[in-house]
Amino acid sequence: MNNERSQSYRALVWRQFRKNRRAVASLYGIFALLGVALFADLIANDMPYYVVMNGRTYFPIAIDYGARLGLVSWPGALRGVDFKKLPNEGALFPPIPYLPRRADLSEESFSPPTARHWLGTDQLGRDVASGMVHGARISLTIGIVVAGIQLTVGILLGGLAGYYGGWVDLALSRVFELMLAIPTFFLILTVAAVLPPSIYNVMAILGLTGWIGVARFVRSEFFKLRGLDFVTAARGLGVSSSAVMFRHILPNALAPVLVSASFSVASAILAESALSFLGIGVPADLVTWGSILAVSEQNTFAWWLAVFPGFAIFATVTAYNLFGDGLRDALDPRLKV
Amino acid sequence: MLRYALRRVLLMIPTFVGITFIAFLIMHLAPGDPVELYFHGGLAAGIQGASTERLADIQKAKEAERRRLGLDRPLPVQYAVWFERLVTLDLGESFKDNRPVWDKIRERLPVTITLNLVSIFLTYLIAIPLGIYSSVRAGSWPESLLTTSVFMLYSLPSFWVGTLILIYFCGGDYFLWFPPAGLHSLDYDPSWPLLRQLRDYSWHIAMPVVCETYAAFAALSRYMRSSMLENALQDYVRTARAKGLPERVVILKHILRNSLIPMVTMLADLLPSLIGGSVIIETIFSIPGIGQLGYQAVLARDYPVVLGLFAISSALTLVGILLADLLLAVVDPRISFGRAEQ
Amino acid sequence: MLATLVGLCLLTECSNREPSAPPAEEPESTREVAGPPVRGDWLVQWMLADPQSLNPLTSTDAASAELQGWVLSSLTTLDPQTLEQRPVIATELPQVAPDHLTYTFRIRNDATFSDGKPLTAADVLFSIKAIKDPEVNAPSLRNYYLSVADARAVDDSTVEFRCSEPYFRNDVILGGISILAKHFYDPHGELDGVSVADLNRWDTLAPDKKQRALRFAQSFNRDFHRKILGSGAYDLADPDRDLITGERIVLRHRNDFWAPGDVMRGDGYVDRLLFRVINNPDAALIALKAGTLDIMGLLPLQHLKQTDTPGFRKRFAKQIAFTPSYTYIGWNELRPMFRETAVRQALSHLVDRDRIISKVLFGYGEKIDSPVYRFSPEYDADLKSYTFDPERAKKQLDDAGWTDHDGDGIRDKVVDGVRTPLGFEIISNSGNTTRKNIGLIVIDEMRRAGIDATFREVDWSIMLEKVEKFDYDAVILGWQFSPADPDLYQVWHSSQAVPGGGNMVAFKNAAADEILVDYRREFDKDKRIALYRRLQEIILEEAPYTFLYMPKSITAFDRRFRDTKWYPTGGPRLSEWWVPRAAQKYGM
Repeated sequence: MNNERSQSYRALVWRQFRKNRRAVASLYGIFALLGVALFADLIANDMPYYVVMNGRTYFPIAIDYGARLGLVSWPGALRGVDFKKLPNEGALFPPIPYLPRRADLSEESFSPPTARHWLGTDQLGRDVASGMVHGARISLTIGIVVAGIQLTVGILLGGLAGYYGGWVDLALSRVFELMLAIPTFFLILTVAAVLPPSIYNVMAILGLTGWIGVARFVRSEFFKLRGLDFVTAARGLGVSSSAVMFRHILPNALAPVLVSASFSVASAILAESALSFLGIGVPADLVTWGSILAVSEQNTFAWWLAVFPGFAIFATVTAYNLFGDGLRDALDPRLKV
Repeated sequence: MLRYALRRVLLMIPTFVGITFIAFLIMHLAPGDPVELYFHGGLAAGIQGASTERLADIQKAKEAERRRLGLDRPLPVQYAVWFERLVTLDLGESFKDNRPVWDKIRERLPVTITLNLVSIFLTYLIAIPLGIYSSVRAGSWPESLLTTSVFMLYSLPSFWVGTLILIYFCGGDYFLWFPPAGLHSLDYDPSWPLLRQLRDYSWHIAMPVVCETYAAFAALSRYMRSSMLENALQDYVRTARAKGLPERVVILKHILRNSLIPMVTMLADLLPSLIGGSVIIETIFSIPGIGQLGYQAVLARDYPVVLGLFAISSALTLVGILLADLLLAVVDPRISFGRAEQ
Repeated sequence: MLATLVGLCLLTECSNREPSAPPAEEPESTREVAGPPVRGDWLVQWMLADPQSLNPLTSTDAASAELQGWVLSSLTTLDPQTLEQRPVIATELPQVAPDHLTYTFRIRNDATFSDGKPLTAADVLFSIKAIKDPEVNAPSLRNYYLSVADARAVDDSTVEFRCSEPYFRNDVILGGISILAKHFYDPHGELDGVSVADLNRWDTLAPDKKQRALRFAQSFNRDFHRKILGSGAYDLADPDRDLITGERIVLRHRNDFWAPGDVMRGDGYVDRLLFRVINNPDAALIALKAGTLDIMGLLPLQHLKQTDTPGFRKRFAKQIAFTPSYTYIGWNELRPMFRETAVRQALSHLVDRDRIISKVLFGYGEKIDSPVYRFSPEYDADLKSYTFDPERAKKQLDDAGWTDHDGDGIRDKVVDGVRTPLGFEIISNSGNTTRKNIGLIVIDEMRRAGIDATFREVDWSIMLEKVEKFDYDAVILGWQFSPADPDLYQVWHSSQAVPGGGNMVAFKNAAADEILVDYRREFDKDKRIALYRRLQEIILEEAPYTFLYMPKSITAFDRRFRDTKWYPTGGPRLSEWWVPRAAQKYGM
């Protein structure tokens, strides 16, 4: 059997992708970020992994997870304690033994990077390294959720418009125009100034205002593809419209859509950090990359508050953009030699 | 084609109404009342108001103010009134200081438009050669380095860059290569010779333009590059090469010309952004532009100004979209806008 | 930052006794008087935002007020050093009738507006009418003059006001009216036939008079945003040249000012006052260092870290002074958990003010315990502060019955038959980093004491709504002090605990109410002082606010200016600043 000829589309794309070292590097970067985001609680926390008190061993981080899920409740001895101050017979703390939101006045404020605080502290003595780790979780969540919303809405509406054309397209295109014509930043500003600050609201706003690009793109792809032979064949065989759309056309249009998904994540992260920076929409006690950066604007001598989060935003966005670009190159059949 | 264009133009009207009505609803349904803000704005500065023995008087005054501003009528009526005035190109008066909205916008428009025009011009100036080079040398290591740099540029948050520029290049403890704020030098005089005025102005808008441009030309150069690469694989290129034309002619005459077309259509898309100001950059560099105007108006619940800006911006966007679509249809015969064929 | 702005804006108005804290940096070269003041040079100041409008009655922002302060004059003004009223347009302080209801002002016959026309009693009368006209867009200003029943011009240089009720501050309020030029603001004389008494009974007023007042108001509200005429020493004669939105405003000295050299009456020595509009404090500091600003209020960090070089200190002097304002946390007493005094007191013990001042203000502030200005004679210096004492606070809460009955880590108690956790949300207006940091620090400490405290920033207009409707738990806000003859009625009297009133925490105390009312009718200063001493004790005991601090302002200014004296109230009197000829930087 000749394996090369029957190689799957996916494998083909992956091989092409791998040739692009830049894109592969960005993929590793994204994985690393995802890892940090997932394990944030284990990397930076002011509770130890385990602590031995009065002969008994406790696992505070696990208990915390359990308590938050409602499965267990805190044993009386440990309720509300500050683990760092408690006498114990043994304890192991995570590498960054701080939580970002604890404003600890006994810690030095505006400390530059030292052995105690690897990336320095902000005005309230909050550790920046911890803020970066937990901020990664927030940024990535926002990026992925927002991109998800944009993709879902965009594919749905763009697909419908592109496939049916005619009145449907006319009506939907008006909706696109409507969304496009509204000055987005302005809209976000207005809505965010009005709603109570929460990241869910921010995600909803960013998601619901940014899907037009995807929609228009999908629409033009569907336009191009629906006239092709395989569609005519499928219709001739009696396949229903929705099946044609979602099982035949979409997979072919999907690849470029995934590319734009990557860019969506990047721009969502940028947008959220811009909002954080302006102080809009994000709750006051939530530490995000943008909010740390915002403190640096007023305190320009505290370079560590500008460099690290700024660089993190920049690196993450670059990684997603490079990945998207690499994916696009890998998917383009015409660029293969 | 013409029929399609006409249909689109007619359809723009309900879309415009829809947009402005949505904006109107959002503004009015938002909590926060401009009249209250006006009356109790002193609270922000910690100034005690007068006593409320005459609470009834104060209430009456507030109601009179609401009546004067037309805020006491039902929302659809308010919208209709506003729209009626809009049709006669009257944007109303600002709630904050009673000045005609159009005056407030007009005095800031030149700044924003100039900034954006310069920025767009520079963007294209840099992006096109960059894109050409990038496509021609695709795959080589200098080009790879260039692409990575371009992406990195694109990923830099503008507020970060702006703040860093302000600190390090605009005086203070480091370099004073550019002025820190405003559009004119302290001793500016309208009677200066034109050249001197121009130089002063350019010096002041240089850094804001840089901030607005770097991401744009990064993105545009990528578009240019992919456009060139796509066209490079077309049959007519192979034909041209087969005919023995020198490579340079092939690239610059054939590929380039076809690749430029989508770039041009993109210009139409940029029409609405002409009057869109960047709040962040304007704040950092103290540029009195539209962005700041809009931001302040939202915070102060200055409905007429906000709606006026929305109206203008959406009108331009709609026109821009139409132009872009028309241009695209003219250029790309693959796209048909009619109903799906059976 | 707001405090610093407030400090700058109070420059021309406030006054009080000597501060007990000496200024931190004495600029050497400015103390010695290098000869009599000379004219010339410019003073370039910083404005954070454009003035909304030049209309003296309808504009409400600080930038407009500052400009109007230079261009317009009033009948009397506050002496920043002695705290007493001094005549400006008036020849002397007003004559007060024994019933304290009629005030007679005699005005100078040599005062002129900047277009040369003389200022007469007719202009003064017109000014009060403009304020009283209900159709003029100045409702909050009008509230101050509600008790003015009538006014008349006895002759060309005498004006008589009649008030409807006795109030010890009537003379100050009347003296503070900015004199508007009748021929400029009411060229058609619409208000000539309408009296103040007429305007007071608007609802029953004859239609023709109403029409006149209406016509006047319409054009007044609309036409005077970008032009202004006054009798002050500086004018804005050519708005097209000198009022450039988003950039700058230029006020020029009048050569024909009617009281040359008289600083108390408003004359200044610099030829031009230039206000540069810079939206961004970073950019403003850069402008200062580049020499394109002469004076600027610094943020503590700018002072500590960015203006510390020898080069800077050679060119600029710095002055540190108290700003007559204070920041507090207000506890809404309508909420069940804040009804008890013990709870409020405990909360006050949980706020570490020293740490807040050192971390958030970098030391540029001072703890306060009273709504009365520290350097006012009314201030009670024997007040016992709330120390930062979490153990005591916890005990107090325990004693009051707020313990953790249900094991969830948060204190609770049965109030009105409902188990209520001790939890609340503190709000403050967004954009204010200082207050945000305070909020975050405070809730952290409270959480450690078993209180479910959260903090949220809200948009200003939303905040107003919530506070007015008493729809909030706790709020971080600030008030300005009134350094001379404070009147705390609006903030503390129980009748003011209504939507729109100043008593936003619903503080209701019978003893305090009585004091507040008696105070207003007391014309003997010593008795007033005694009354307010008692009031401060009550307020501190009841703890409706947790008083936080009074901020200090830091001002940097170019050393070339002389006579840069800072007055006890917190600011200099810029009109007396001058530059020796040799050091002058700007020409005419």
